[in-house]
Amino acid sequence: MRSNRPLAGVSVLIGALLLTGVSWVQAAPNTFNTALPVAEGQYLWREQLVLRERSDNGPMDREVSVQALGSVLGYGVTSRFAVFGMVPYFFNKELDVTTPMGRIERDTSGFGDVSLFGRYTLYKKDETGNTFRVAPVFGLTAPTGDDSDSDRFGELPRPLQAGDGAWDGFAGVVTTYQTLQYQVEGQLLYRENGRHDGFARGDETRFDASLQYRIWPRSMKGMPGTPAFVYALLESNVIHRERDETGSGTDADSGGGQWLLAPGLQYVSRSWIVEGTVQLPVAEHPNGDAIEDDYIVRVGFRRNF
Amino acid sequence: MIKKLSLLLSALIFSVAVLAVDNHYVLGVDGLACPFCAYGIEKRLNKIEGVTDVQVDVGESVVHVSMREGKTLTEDRASQAVDEAGFTLRSFSEAEGETGGNDAQ
Repeated sequence: MRSNRPLAGVSVLIGALLLTGVSWVQAAPNTFNTALPVAEGQYLWREQLVLRERSDNGPMDREVSVQALGSVLGYGVTSRFAVFGMVPYFFNKELDVTTPMGRIERDTSGFGDVSLFGRYTLYKKDETGNTFRVAPVFGLTAPTGDDSDSDRFGELPRPLQAGDGAWDGFAGVVTTYQTLQYQVEGQLLYRENGRHDGFARGDETRFDASLQYRIWPRSMKGMPGTPAFVYALLESNVIHRERDETGSGTDADSGGGQWLLAPGLQYVSRSWIVEGTVQLPVAEHPNGDAIEDDYIVRVGFRRNF
Repeated sequence: MIKKLSLLLSALIFSVAVLAVDNHYVLGVDGLACPFCAYGIEKRLNKIEGVTDVQVDVGESVVHVSMREGKTLTEDRASQAVDEAGFTLRSFSEAEGETGGNDAQ
């Protein structure tokens, strides 16, 4: 603790991001983006339910539980340029923490910060039955969520709020190689979080990778038309977060590095994708007593229209 | 008499069927490798006036397009639609009969 004020200390100590971690985009991986095309004039609609449990090893025994729904709408402006909007809704964002007053529970709910972003296909190489694409992505997160919710203990800690109150920017590049049998994706993304009212979430750099392997139908021979596919998928997320900025300094118990692996399944038809994954920490290197992920469950669907 | 009438009716039905036959095309499409991507191609091709049916064969990377009687599909228009969907037209051919022909590489 950097302070003797328990509740203020809780605010500071929560540290690590309490973002929903809703993955934003359209096809392919469940936890990050893809470079696959959105046809001109085509819409994509995605809903993803996220259940995230987090905890720390510190004396305050903090436990964070998030239940959120991420809604994404995408539109193909041209065959190379697509725009997306994402809004998270928090059914519940809850912190259980031990204080000198005993174990307390604090929570909030409501819409979070809206993200708007674009993706441009910079390079593509199409061959029969496969494609390779590289696409930069860039976007902004607007401070649309409530960042000043309070309860009987006072204003909620900043990381527990549904919104962070600041404009955030992010940019990166995603690459996809897809064949009829399997698909490989990689993404490098940097997010710079803005500062509002003396607080800024730590900036984030992440490298994501995924492998999807078609397990059904086993063979495409004798399969005319457009049969639905079932993919087994394994995704990897390596994430580094800087410390949160509070006042004139940084929170020593925030940020750090983590590596998550996510096995999952995906059912893909012409118009629908139904999918589910569980992200599990393989390695975590939190700064101080920063909160770490225990697991993240993601289930949802995507729809073409 | 009945036999002659039946023969005449059959001939009439056959001739109408021949006259009303649609035009069919087979498009080879590169870059197509999953069912979800096929939807965009269908959507772009269906916007072309006269298109009555689009069938995507993902495994063979070909798309069968049917046009209403009297309507034709040019290679340039097909290429544009495939490009708008984010893919690349590899080949274009007019098919014989209802089921289309082979992919003309």
